[in-house]
Amino acid sequence: MIHLSKNETKLMVAVHGWSGIGLGLLLYAVIFTGMVAVFASEIGVWSAGHLGTRSAFEQPIDRIVRDLGARTPKIYREGTDLFEVGDHGLGVFFHHHETAANGELISRGIFYSVERDGRIQARAGTNEEVFGPRNDDALSHFLVDTHVRLHIPNPWGLLVTGILGLAMLVAAISGLLIHRHLLKDIFTLRTKSSAVLAERDRHSVAGTWSLPFAFVLAFTGSFFSFYGTIGVPIVAMAAFGGDVQAFSEKVFGNPGAPDPRPAAIGNLDRIASDAVRRAGSPPTYVAIEHFGRADAEVTTYHNARTGGIEPMTLLYRGADASFERAKPQVGTRPSAGGSLAAMMSPLHFGNFAGVLSKSVWFSLGFAMCYVTLTGLRLWLVRRRGGARSLDWLDRSVSVVGFGLPFALVVSAAAFLVSMPLGRAIWWTPVAFTGAAATVLIGAVIAPSRIIIDRALLLGTGVLMMGLVPLRLATGGPGWAAAIEAGQPIIVALDFAFVCAGTACIWRIIGQAWAVRPVGTLQAAE
Amino acid sequence: MGARARTWGRVMLAGPGAIIVAVVTMAGMTRWIPGGTAGIDNVVLPLVLAPLIWAALFFYACLDPKLSRVAIVTGALLLVHGALVAVGFTGGTAKTETAR
Repeated sequence: MIHLSKNETKLMVAVHGWSGIGLGLLLYAVIFTGMVAVFASEIGVWSAGHLGTRSAFEQPIDRIVRDLGARTPKIYREGTDLFEVGDHGLGVFFHHHETAANGELISRGIFYSVERDGRIQARAGTNEEVFGPRNDDALSHFLVDTHVRLHIPNPWGLLVTGILGLAMLVAAISGLLIHRHLLKDIFTLRTKSSAVLAERDRHSVAGTWSLPFAFVLAFTGSFFSFYGTIGVPIVAMAAFGGDVQAFSEKVFGNPGAPDPRPAAIGNLDRIASDAVRRAGSPPTYVAIEHFGRADAEVTTYHNARTGGIEPMTLLYRGADASFERAKPQVGTRPSAGGSLAAMMSPLHFGNFAGVLSKSVWFSLGFAMCYVTLTGLRLWLVRRRGGARSLDWLDRSVSVVGFGLPFALVVSAAAFLVSMPLGRAIWWTPVAFTGAAATVLIGAVIAPSRIIIDRALLLGTGVLMMGLVPLRLATGGPGWAAAIEAGQPIIVALDFAFVCAGTACIWRIIGQAWAVRPVGTLQAAE
Repeated sequence: MGARARTWGRVMLAGPGAIIVAVVTMAGMTRWIPGGTAGIDNVVLPLVLAPLIWAALFFYACLDPKLSRVAIVTGALLLVHGALVAVGFTGGTAKTETAR
């Protein structure tokens, strides 16, 4: 337990409050979309009705990549990235590295999207230009993009979310410091006391349980946001004279004597099957350096083994497809810095133990959303009756707190309708923007904040329950087909939407019947 | 120093001060942290630890009762790491290139 003097505690309470109030609504948006994005790949499967379960790397890829390599200009064979797209299709990006005018290291080349039925689409450009959303992943792409950079162009979007991560770090640490009785606070729920005390207890309990998680998420999130925007350019400037490519090669490359003699790439199917056997799971990503040269190296990246947290990486000689060694994801040999950096991703995304860890991350994310919203409400309650009216802020909390889930559900509904028509890339964000604008107008004309809350909760609940019939009506696979294909996640998410929708409606009914509505909190302090 | 000036001094040290010192410390750390077995710890650890360095500087600036001590400690960090970066630019870069 950390003991602070009365003045220090007072200061920390102010820091805790203002770190939440200053950026609380944006922070809530990032946390909420992050919570949903934990299941981005599952939502992608559910929304697009993908029934394939075999990874692209468990299907023949050698002939495809070899043929694509033959038709690609030699300049773009410096690096080749392979990863899954859509319903276990294969994405192949042949590229070379170059430094943009602003000093940023970019990849330029040709991106081939190979569907399971053999259709190939090619797009030329930089990594920023070719990896946009697809019609069948527009919803999950939209979710992730909202979380990562709030749809603000790079690098500003990443800087904003990085600053929000630091604000969350401050809120988490100051939250820990102001707890005088941490263990007691974890279990204290005075439900029969005044509304404010009960609300404060719930805020405190949810906040205390999710404190370590909030710290980890804020730390890893701000690391990811600042990594490429500020961190790498500055470290490269200090240690490599500003050469970002030299930094990248040092940290992620596989150093060896260059051998530019032409040599056909070894059998990639052999590499893929050997990697699956060694790692116990198919690769999530494969990188080939110097495709078509004698010094080609193939690196396969895998999720952590069961019970582990650090992802696995295997290295193969490209020319003869022979296994070279298991290597760390960062650096050529195991090291403290490499291990720490490699753990940032599983710790942030919660994907190290499959659906189980993702569910824990989702639940704790939900607790943090609750903490952020109740924190904002408590701050407002304490200032109610002050000289300045904070009704606008009270309404803003409702607009963001309940309006964001509503707008996301509207965008999901729009995706389900527009995807079969091939228009999901356009309609998904447009529906979100339209819903958000409607919420804003409604919030301005609504007579009270309580009505805004209830209308949005009701709308979200009804829409969530409607997503399941909508999905089925627009050609999505039924439960029997999904289970038969080995995709129970489609059924699970249908069930989750119905439950969440019911919970929203149930809450409104509960509030209507309650003797003491939530909105009539009286300041107790 | 008056109470108002002290408050503003603390705000400057915890706000822009902490950001500037954290960035310069991150850059300077590449010069004194050992490379480790993989030879990358000196560039990776500062990157990973940067948010924590900032948080430590922020809370230190908020909680230390002696503002002058905060100014001296953060100023020393800034000077030492700034000097390390400057030394790197003048002679260290060449050494790094040779080592590579």
